[in-house]
Amino acid sequence: MKIKWLNVWIAAFLAPTVLVLALFYIVPIGTVLVTGFMEWDGLRAPEFNGVNNYIHLITYDNTFFIALRNILLWSLIAATLHVGFGTLVAFVLYKKHIGWRFVRGVFMVPMVISAAAWAIIYKLFFNDEIGILNHMIRSIGFSDFHVNWFFDSPASFFAITLTWLFYAVYVTLIVYNDLMAIPKEVHEAALLDGASEWGMIRHINLPLVKKAIGTGIILSVTARIAGFEEVALTSRGGPGNDTYNITLMLYDGIVNYNYGYANAAATIMILLGILVLLLINRVFKMNESTY
Amino acid sequence: MIINIRKWPELIVSYSVMTFTVLVSIFPILWILLSSFKSNKEILNDPFSLPKKIDFQAYMDVFTQYNFLGYFMNSMFIAIASTLIALFIYTMAGYIFGKFNFRGKSFLFILCTITLLIPGYARAQPIFTIIMNLDLYDTKAALILVYASFGMALALFILRLSFIAIPKDLDESALIDGAGFWRIFWNVNMPLAKSGISTAGILMFLNNWNEYFYALILTTSEKNRTLPVALEFFNEAFSYNYTRMFAALMMVILPGIMIYVLVQEQVQQSVASSGVKG
Repeated sequence: MKIKWLNVWIAAFLAPTVLVLALFYIVPIGTVLVTGFMEWDGLRAPEFNGVNNYIHLITYDNTFFIALRNILLWSLIAATLHVGFGTLVAFVLYKKHIGWRFVRGVFMVPMVISAAAWAIIYKLFFNDEIGILNHMIRSIGFSDFHVNWFFDSPASFFAITLTWLFYAVYVTLIVYNDLMAIPKEVHEAALLDGASEWGMIRHINLPLVKKAIGTGIILSVTARIAGFEEVALTSRGGPGNDTYNITLMLYDGIVNYNYGYANAAATIMILLGILVLLLINRVFKMNESTY
Repeated sequence: MIINIRKWPELIVSYSVMTFTVLVSIFPILWILLSSFKSNKEILNDPFSLPKKIDFQAYMDVFTQYNFLGYFMNSMFIAIASTLIALFIYTMAGYIFGKFNFRGKSFLFILCTITLLIPGYARAQPIFTIIMNLDLYDTKAALILVYASFGMALALFILRLSFIAIPKDLDESALIDGAGFWRIFWNVNMPLAKSGISTAGILMFLNNWNEYFYALILTTSEKNRTLPVALEFFNEAFSYNYTRMFAALMMVILPGIMIYVLVQEQVQQSVASSGVKG
């Protein structure tokens, strides 16, 4: 009798979470995958139309290829420069020079601000009339400098990149955490063998935080694939379709009641995410133990 | 004290990186803050100068004339309600995952946490339709419900570990004392899982406070508008009054920064106290 009551409690405690899992995760993801192959405007019942949404998505205009190109370029920049900078900061903090705590604390600030607010801050920052950036450029001698960053091509692409390029504090924290976990003996042994500072970084620290860097790459590339605010609130995909991405396609699909199309875009987003995960897992051998 | 000359290049590189990091992190915010005290003319002509005087007129204007308080209260209410609901249901589930065994447990846990790998926006259309069908479109309840669902994977991850760390002997002696399932959960385990619960709560609150995409597609009327969405309307309303625009931006980002400053202290304290124990 007692055992039975325990099972009731367990079921009752899990029930709300299982409901959330079903209603907000399993049903939506299933819907996305299935209705990507359906004609659906939200009013009439969905009807299968094969791969028409995907054909429409790819061939309607060249938006899809521009979106794909942007996402690939942004992902590449995120995986190299963005993660590289985050890792560099982690290695510098690891030295624990005076002020390192302050740097770590301040680096986190842009992350606790709404991404929408951050996008608008940068929109003003790059504004030709009031933005501080163009004022600075003009004041150092280029007095005729006028670029409407978010409205000119290709400036728009770079301006959007700059809204996130240096804000890699998550990478820093993950890498820093793994650096701190390196046993002291490893460094002592290396010193006895006459390792130089640079040699220690290259041959000991860097290989030992490889997995943290891999995780950082997965996180930052996924953020680029699903990026929204930094585009929607600045260039809105423009000029033309220059800075379009998949989340904007998805958003436009929803607000235009083109649900099948929206979910085809969502499916591509999910697939790209899984692809990145598998790829990085393989390249960084994330399943093998470090020590 | 003599500093080894061979250390100099390393010091120069390190401090350059540290200075650059601080600059990119706070320069834009500092610029917004200073500009919010300047007149339009000063903003256009002397972008580098300090404000002539510190007055909060623009802040007052935003506050009194543009329903800032209304949006602020919406954001606060939605973020707090969704975080509390989420904490309640995920703490219960985390307790079960951390302390009990049942068939299919690891499968269910993996299923819950693997959702972290699916971009949140990819589920937008079905969630939009579910909210429509529940007749919750353009209500605060819609956002509370959706936000409560977001933190699932992260919260379960943190909370399961906090409950695993609590010794089982405590449960057993409470059981011998005649405590029931709920009392063992609420009076014995919950107080000990406090730090995990607050960490999960703080992270979820910040996410919910800052959320933009779902607030944009699930609400439309002014009475349910949250601050991140309102920002865009401010941006249009103030297109020629930059001072107010900057003031509004400061007012939107300040609560998040303040919460973070508070949390940082708490994190440092917990590190210090665990150092004493260990």
